[in-house]
Amino acid sequence: MKIKLKLFGASRDFSNQDFIEFNIKKPISIKEFKNLILEFIEKNFKGNENYKKIVKGSAFCSEDDRIISDNYKITKDQRIGIIPPIGGG
Amino acid sequence: MLHTKILDSAIEKIEIAKAEKFISSSKFGASIFFIGTVRDFNENKKVTGITYDSHDALVIKSFEEIYNEADKKLNIKEKAVYIEHIKGYVKLGEISIIIAVGCKHRDQAYVLSRYIIEEIKKRTPIWKKEHYENETTEWLKGKSLVNEKN
Repeated sequence: MKIKLKLFGASRDFSNQDFIEFNIKKPISIKEFKNLILEFIEKNFKGNENYKKIVKGSAFCSEDDRIISDNYKITKDQRIGIIPPIGGG
Repeated sequence: MLHTKILDSAIEKIEIAKAEKFISSSKFGASIFFIGTVRDFNENKKVTGITYDSHDALVIKSFEEIYNEADKKLNIKEKAVYIEHIKGYVKLGEISIIIAVGCKHRDQAYVLSRYIIEEIKKRTPIWKKEHYENETTEWLKGKSLVNEKN
């Protein structure tokens, strides 16, 4: 199963593309997915604390553009958006 | 009556005249224009421009929610609201957001305009990356939406 993590705001620094793909063997919750992203940061950015802080402070949104909770289960190929702390206007 | 749009700065700019035309009506005795522009200094650093990033669908959704809430929370039924926000790179002094409101009375217009910009700051998924004179850049720290929705 593939999860395409669409990057926004400060999380765009995590990749040269505007997304990161994760291959998952079984359904996972957003809470578990967040840990996978933290592992990705650990592996690719030597555990960059600022990046980890961004992930921990981020909300997530589903393919149909709804903010989803930590308990939301990803059960199929899906595009998930990471919503770091916001500050426009 | 509501108009919302996210504009790509590489393609178009926010035009005040369009907002003026949209909210213009003999029903409304008061109009307020809030215009946000890129400021020259932030935290003692000389800013040359800002790149705005946006989750377009969620941004438009939040503009609509804020507009609809004004009915219930502020009890302002008759109104015209025009909201546009830029995405992409914006130079110093250029417009990043416009909120134009037309209401029957001035107190309603002031309250509504202030309400919209404050709510956008709190919950609309837009991000800013500042560009500085020494050619460095930095994403600005913002407000987390985690506790709001979970």
